[in-house]
Amino acid sequence: MTDPQVSQPKQLDLLQGTLDLLILKAVSLGPLHGYGVLLRIQQISGQSLIIQQGSLYPALYRLEHQGVIASEWGESDNNRKAKFYRLTVAGRLRLADETARWNRMSTLIGQFLLATPATLGEEV
Amino acid sequence: MTPVSRLTLLLARILSQPRSWFRALTGRRRLESEMEAELSLHLENLTADLIRAGQSPAEARRNARLALGSPIAAKDAMRTSLGLRLVDEIAADLLYGFRLLRKSPGFTLVASLSLALAIGANTTIFSLAKQLLYERLAAPHAASLRLFAWTGSEKHVAVHSIWGDYSPLPGGRVTSTSFSYPAYQQLRAQNRVLDDLFAFKETGMNATIAGTAQQAQVEMVSGNYYPQLQITPILGRAINPSDDAGPGKGPVAVISYGLWERAFAKSPAALGQIIKLNEISLTIIGVNPQGFTGAKGTQQSPDLFVPLSLQPLISPHGANGSRLSDPKEWWLNVMGRVKPGVDDRTAQSTLDGQLGAIVRATMPVRPNEDVPRIDLRDGSRGLFYQKRTYAQPMTVLLTMVGFVLLLACANIANLMLARGSQRQREMSVRLALGAGRARIARQMFVESLMLAALGGLGGILVGYAGSSAIPRLIENSWERSDFHIHFDWLVFAFTSGVTLLTGILFGLAPAWSAARAQVSTGLKETSQSATRRRKGWGGRSLIGFQIALSTLLVIGAGLFLRTLANLNNVHVGFRTDHLLLAEIDPPQKLYPAGKDVALHTRLLESIAATPGVEAVSPAFVTYVAGQMNRTDFIPENVTLDKDKDDAEPYNVVGSNFFSMLQIPILSGRAFTPEDTLTSAKVGIINTALAKERFPNQDPIGKRFRSADETDNQGKRKPRAWIRIIGICADTHYNSLREDPTLPQFFLPFAQQTEVGGGLNYLIQTHMDPAALVPAIRKVVQAQDPDLPLTEVRTQEEQIHEQTQQERIFVTLTSGFGLLALALASVGIYGVMAYAVANRTSEIGIRLALGAQPRQVLSMILREATWISLTGVFVGLAAALVLARLVKSMLYGLQPSDPFSMLAGAAILISVGLAASWIPARRAARVQPIIALRHE
Repeated sequence: MTDPQVSQPKQLDLLQGTLDLLILKAVSLGPLHGYGVLLRIQQISGQSLIIQQGSLYPALYRLEHQGVIASEWGESDNNRKAKFYRLTVAGRLRLADETARWNRMSTLIGQFLLATPATLGEEV
Repeated sequence: MTPVSRLTLLLARILSQPRSWFRALTGRRRLESEMEAELSLHLENLTADLIRAGQSPAEARRNARLALGSPIAAKDAMRTSLGLRLVDEIAADLLYGFRLLRKSPGFTLVASLSLALAIGANTTIFSLAKQLLYERLAAPHAASLRLFAWTGSEKHVAVHSIWGDYSPLPGGRVTSTSFSYPAYQQLRAQNRVLDDLFAFKETGMNATIAGTAQQAQVEMVSGNYYPQLQITPILGRAINPSDDAGPGKGPVAVISYGLWERAFAKSPAALGQIIKLNEISLTIIGVNPQGFTGAKGTQQSPDLFVPLSLQPLISPHGANGSRLSDPKEWWLNVMGRVKPGVDDRTAQSTLDGQLGAIVRATMPVRPNEDVPRIDLRDGSRGLFYQKRTYAQPMTVLLTMVGFVLLLACANIANLMLARGSQRQREMSVRLALGAGRARIARQMFVESLMLAALGGLGGILVGYAGSSAIPRLIENSWERSDFHIHFDWLVFAFTSGVTLLTGILFGLAPAWSAARAQVSTGLKETSQSATRRRKGWGGRSLIGFQIALSTLLVIGAGLFLRTLANLNNVHVGFRTDHLLLAEIDPPQKLYPAGKDVALHTRLLESIAATPGVEAVSPAFVTYVAGQMNRTDFIPENVTLDKDKDDAEPYNVVGSNFFSMLQIPILSGRAFTPEDTLTSAKVGIINTALAKERFPNQDPIGKRFRSADETDNQGKRKPRAWIRIIGICADTHYNSLREDPTLPQFFLPFAQQTEVGGGLNYLIQTHMDPAALVPAIRKVVQAQDPDLPLTEVRTQEEQIHEQTQQERIFVTLTSGFGLLALALASVGIYGVMAYAVANRTSEIGIRLALGAQPRQVLSMILREATWISLTGVFVGLAAALVLARLVKSMLYGLQPSDPFSMLAGAAILISVGLAASWIPARRAARVQPIIALRHE
């Protein structure tokens, strides 16, 4: 049995805890249903981020439980009933917070990885 | 991130989570279908996209399902996201627990029933004890109330005339809570150590309320009583100091809530109505709040509250009627509230000094007499009479019911332990299948709680039933009683808490060991087959303990049962059937000495003429009613010894008294209608008095004198000589328990010049008393419409009432004894059955090797008997020690009554044998081949 995800070697595994951030960002651009969230994440990342589709929905439920996203039943593109998720006010704050944190973290890690014996020498 | 946005986020979360959780919980079906819809829409979209990307429909569907993963796992994770997991698991535990309980209905029934009975019995008895012995007066800050009492040397205290309680203390001292009015007034005037003193006196009086003549309980209160107790009437006003300023200043009354309800149907129009109290008209000015019971006691409220200054009018006493001015009459109850900053000891010693000076200044104190010493007591429960009556019986009941609680706890422990060990294999299987240890412990916990909840629910029912049944045991048919037990939730919480805790602890113990067990040990079946002699000790000592407790309870019940039987077999010495008793107490103001005799004589004649009445006799004392009239009996030619008590019990009776009651006259003659006021004074003595005062003599014809009497001018003069004309057989006098040979003498009613209080009427009739009483009431009303007929009951009811406490005791203690037996037998059965089940293969081997079934049977029985014997032995030893403490409550038997002891032991041993018989027979019937193949 071949895993469809293994057959795409360019995709990146998701860092622990970043799924929430991705979902928040995705729905911040406009209300989406579950599959739409998946598509938008793949679209933004240029198909290079994989997410476990099975863990998408528990994450959506968790975020809604926490009050950072809200849901509403509506019509999907193919005229099916679908549950649309959107960002709440609290969600906007959370997204800003997580974004800032992510940026701080990536800068830090980036600088860390740039370290050479020369830069070390200067600093010490 | 700013603190404000952090706070906003937190707030959003706090607000959102419970709402979302609750929504999920209540809209469960909607949630499930929504999850289903979302996931299937996802699958559909993905499949469509994959087909669009060029996959075949079948391939696309397969890949989509693979990409999404298990929908069941996804849904589970979604539920977890909503915080539903714990709920779901507990619901599963509950369902599983419910199935288990239903699967073994015997276990469920026994466990929950024993819990229910123990919790219910304890709740009832503890509520009763709390109410009788710990309830405080229904006044604000009751704890700050102090009750005045005094102590003095017996027979040498300067106080001679007491109307109220008077009881001996150890060490030749006596105590009373009665004070004279002058002493109260002076103590109050001099008081610096208490807030203020107030006084009251409760007594029964004839009242005419809303047109009905009846006996009413009246509390005469000082003018500052209401403000000091901080009680405000719910309707109208309270008695105030100006009402109490002088006799007749305030002809007013405040009525109790109960009377307001009973006589005025809670109508505000009760205010301003006139009631008559001993012929004095009083205006109702207020209604007390519900639950206020006066200052005397906590159990029942007096009907009326009137100013103390009315005493000379409504309850006259002595030559001029007033007790208020007489320093020698001690009758008033005094209370006060503590003053901040003054401790009780300082207050007591100050008051003591003041009282001593007051007594010496106002009344004669002979050289060999001492003055009463103040004893300042806790007044929060009023005079707290019930302590004397109920403290010991309640202690006994509390001890017994406490033992029942212990027994039930031991039983639950036993059952849970046995069940837990039986399920160790199940636990091992669950562990092997991947259940967490915490999860298993939680499941056991939920099961224990379910059982506990069943028991608790039953406990509420039993407790409610008990709380309403007990007052019915206590009341009697002819006295009104407001007594009822409040179901005490606090007590219920305590008793159920204790039992539930036991159940949970002992339910958890096996769960704990299961959770720690190595999966492999539990699954190895051979581990079960080894002889497990050592392992049963916990259960066995629990059973031994249960048997010991049961022995104790059964013996206790036996002692009280035998006491009641002995009391029921007492022959009182007179005929008790078809005898109606009633009392008429005419007010002394209208019927002073002489006039009262005339009234009673008229009443006796008209009652005797009433159809249905066969005979009627007056009597100063009704028998077996706890009454005692004593007066001096001084035979002629005997020198009076001042230090000796010459008084003997006596009765004043009609001429037909002896024939009516069939009391045999052993020699001489009975009274006849020819013995009148003008004929020679005559008396009859009983055999016991003849033996005591006239040993080896013939008393007939001898003369004696009774106490000095006071004439109209207040001068003391010796009474006339009374000639003994007959000797009658002995009868019981005031109780069933007393020595039946109590000395007693009789005087004819026709030769009395005064009655000085209520007179009892003994009416012989073959009619139903209920049919006759209205006719008699009519006869009495014809003489005086304000004269009530009180204390109407038959002589048999009166005797029955005397054994009431014993009957309550027998009912309760036998109940506890039976409960104990049931609990113990269940315990023995459970543990023996468990032991046999565990030893099946051992027994199989024994049988295979040639043991006879009879030998196996006796092996099991022997083991059970040893446990029973040990328990019974311990129980007997404890019973011998504890029974001595209830000696005063027994009648006609010793605390070490061999019959009760042996019967108790025999019952327990046979119950032990019977309970282990079924498991033992099961063991003897083990088929070796099946037992061994089982392995």
